[in-house]
Amino acid sequence: MKNSILKVENLQYIYGNGKMALDDVSVEIYEGERIAVLGANGSGKSTFFLNLNGVYTPSHGRITYRGKTLEKKNLTELRKNIGIVFQDADNQIIASSVMAEVSFGPMNLRLTKEEVLKRVNEALIYMSLKGFEERPPHYLSGGEKKRVSIADIIAMKSEVMIFDEPTASLDPANALMLEEVMQKLGNENKTLIISTHDVDFTYRWAQRVIVFCNGKIIADGTPLDIFKNKEVLKQSNLKQPAMLQVYEMLVEKGLLKDTKEYPKSTEEFNELLDIMKNN
Amino acid sequence: MEKTIIVCLMLFLPAFAMVISLTVQKRNNEARGHGHGIGHRHGSWMAIDYFAFSSKLRRWNATFKLAFTLVIIFLCIGLNNAFVSAVIIVSMFYMVVAVGGLSTRDYISVLSIPIAFILISVIAIIVDFSKLPVGDFRIFIGFGYLYSSISMLFNGLRLMLKIIAAVSALQFMILTTPPSEVILVIRKMHVPNKFADLMNMIYRYIFILLDAFSKMKDAAEARLGYRDFKTFCRTFGGTAGNVLVLSLKKAEAYYDAMESRCYDGELLFLEEEKKISLRTIISATLFIFYLLLIWFFTK
Amino acid sequence: MSKKQKAILTISAIIALAFGIVPGAGAMHIMEGYLPPTYCIAWGAICLPFLAMGWFSIKKTLDKNKKSITMLAIAGAYVFVLSSLKIPSVTGSCSHMTGTGLGAILFGASSVSILGLIVLIFQAILLAHGGLTTLGANTFSMAVAGPFVAICIYKLCQKLKVSKAVSVFLAAAIGDLFTYCVTSMQLALAYPSAEGGVMASAIKFLAVFAPTQLPLAIVEGILTVLIIMGLETYAKSELTEIGFIKVV
Repeated sequence: MKNSILKVENLQYIYGNGKMALDDVSVEIYEGERIAVLGANGSGKSTFFLNLNGVYTPSHGRITYRGKTLEKKNLTELRKNIGIVFQDADNQIIASSVMAEVSFGPMNLRLTKEEVLKRVNEALIYMSLKGFEERPPHYLSGGEKKRVSIADIIAMKSEVMIFDEPTASLDPANALMLEEVMQKLGNENKTLIISTHDVDFTYRWAQRVIVFCNGKIIADGTPLDIFKNKEVLKQSNLKQPAMLQVYEMLVEKGLLKDTKEYPKSTEEFNELLDIMKNN
Repeated sequence: MEKTIIVCLMLFLPAFAMVISLTVQKRNNEARGHGHGIGHRHGSWMAIDYFAFSSKLRRWNATFKLAFTLVIIFLCIGLNNAFVSAVIIVSMFYMVVAVGGLSTRDYISVLSIPIAFILISVIAIIVDFSKLPVGDFRIFIGFGYLYSSISMLFNGLRLMLKIIAAVSALQFMILTTPPSEVILVIRKMHVPNKFADLMNMIYRYIFILLDAFSKMKDAAEARLGYRDFKTFCRTFGGTAGNVLVLSLKKAEAYYDAMESRCYDGELLFLEEEKKISLRTIISATLFIFYLLLIWFFTK
Repeated sequence: MSKKQKAILTISAIIALAFGIVPGAGAMHIMEGYLPPTYCIAWGAICLPFLAMGWFSIKKTLDKNKKSITMLAIAGAYVFVLSSLKIPSVTGSCSHMTGTGLGAILFGASSVSILGLIVLIFQAILLAHGGLTTLGANTFSMAVAGPFVAICIYKLCQKLKVSKAVSVFLAAAIGDLFTYCVTSMQLALAYPSAEGGVMASAIKFLAVFAPTQLPLAIVEGILTVLIIMGLETYAKSELTEIGFIKVV
């Protein structure tokens, strides 16, 4: 069994205007998991993330990080280890040069100057941002801004990285770049939580899917379980991933034996076709 | 003879300045549409900021540049000497254009920004009012005379030269130093920390707001929101109000994002000051002595 | 050339300039190099108590709510951006708003002094309007005197039960006019007339800047009214919720 890293129990969060944003949310997150969070806009995903990071204080419930219950005095510890990449990079970027921006997190951790410099350098290399150090954010393209906002969190060396709709408003090339970064981070055994509307991406990338609807978690399981559950899909306005639909159609039409080995990407599907041909 | 030359000069200079400022205005409008390669988006265009970022003199230490500029400006207005002013105008132009790599057209376009103010305010200095027919040139306006004299015109010219020189010195700093570095220098001058933090954030938000404004403006323009002055006013008022509301609503999101990265009321960045070479300091000192020398021999 | 001819030439040139230069004229920033050193320092010193007052007011706001720092920053950036946008003036060319009246009405006169100082610094380094040595004089006229008068007029109008649109218009326009008068005074003090002294000089400066500043004040007044009305129509609840804007 994997180690539990974050435990959320009966979380409830109410907005200033009295609207209930999160209602009795309980979930446990384990080391190295790749989690996709699905749900319509306004279903509580972003609020949930800001609670996890301690920016919002829940009106009820408990968050435990590695066995330590979250309180006012260990907030910094939590924020250090749980980093959020915000949906709109412009909301996140605060400094007026890339170097200063990426150093903001590590500087707030009160690290030594050498350590900050080292981490900033590593993060910039990781996101292929070398040579951009002195560039002001208003002379960056949308994709570059996104990369900077990810480097921000990489430089903090957070254990859990949360991405709030990272592919929103990115062009296909940048979306691909982002997926590669996700793969790379996943391979390094980081715990990743991503909110997204892209079911195909979720299907090929995630190990676990959590579905939010009206401030509640209505489903939590493997991508296959979730996407085969018509009830959940209908309730949260989600489509089935194209690969799953194609597979099921082929099985239904008798063209494919139901081996339960679901292809998740076009590459895997291609292999499956090769096997079919050889039989 | 002398008078004629001065009158001609007085007329020629403003006319010349106007032609420049008008062509430049036209050019600026064109430039706004095209932009300069580097990944900036339409609308977030602020020419001086961009020139500073692309200047070769950006490598120089910002504290040095700011201090040098201030010394030059104070020499310029303190000595109040036409020759000193002329030398400053030429050398600042040389530094920013030849060494810094800015195009002459862009340099003059920025220099022409204050031209309207200079001309208008100089008029008030070279013309005076009197009940008696005094001065070298005068005109009767019913109840008295508007008059001017050679010495007043000379004073006006010297003042104009002085202002252009001081503006040139300021340009040396603003066209070669990105604002973020200026803020860093201000921070080091022991202003309250929060003040520098505010400056930092304001600088960042200026571009976000400009972008929001420009997007809304384009959307309104597509719907004929600027067809005449009246519609303009209504559209402008609506746009401006809307941008303010949207931005204030976002303020909380900005704060949350900062807090999620452990912001604790103190805006900390790792910003390194650029190295300063001994050669630069010596050259700058020599230049200042040179100005003093000119003043000494021409006063 | 006879004397008369010369005189006519000079006068016509002056008139042509006063009206012809109107294109491109913005708010009335005193340019770098215009003021002698003593005046630069004196005006800076005069601003200090007002800035200190503004600073304490801002600090109080921040101590009460740490989060208001991003709001203050947005307010400052907003005033800057508003002042950098081109608006058509009556002569058909472009001009700029000052935004100080709006800032004072929305955010209060005391915090505007500090925000105004920052805006003026950015106007000098990003737009080449104004300057470093004239920062003190400009701060006094634009960030202290103008907003202060604007807020007084606004409060007075409210006491007299004048309609909101009219009070906002008067506050913004008169705030602008006051800035224009103070600036003319500052220029006159530095360059008194040989014959009539400071007052005569002030009248001259008021006269030459009138063609640019009088229309600007009216346009500023109209636009400020429209912005505030725009705010009221679709954002009243949000703004009160934020609890930042006191007057609207």
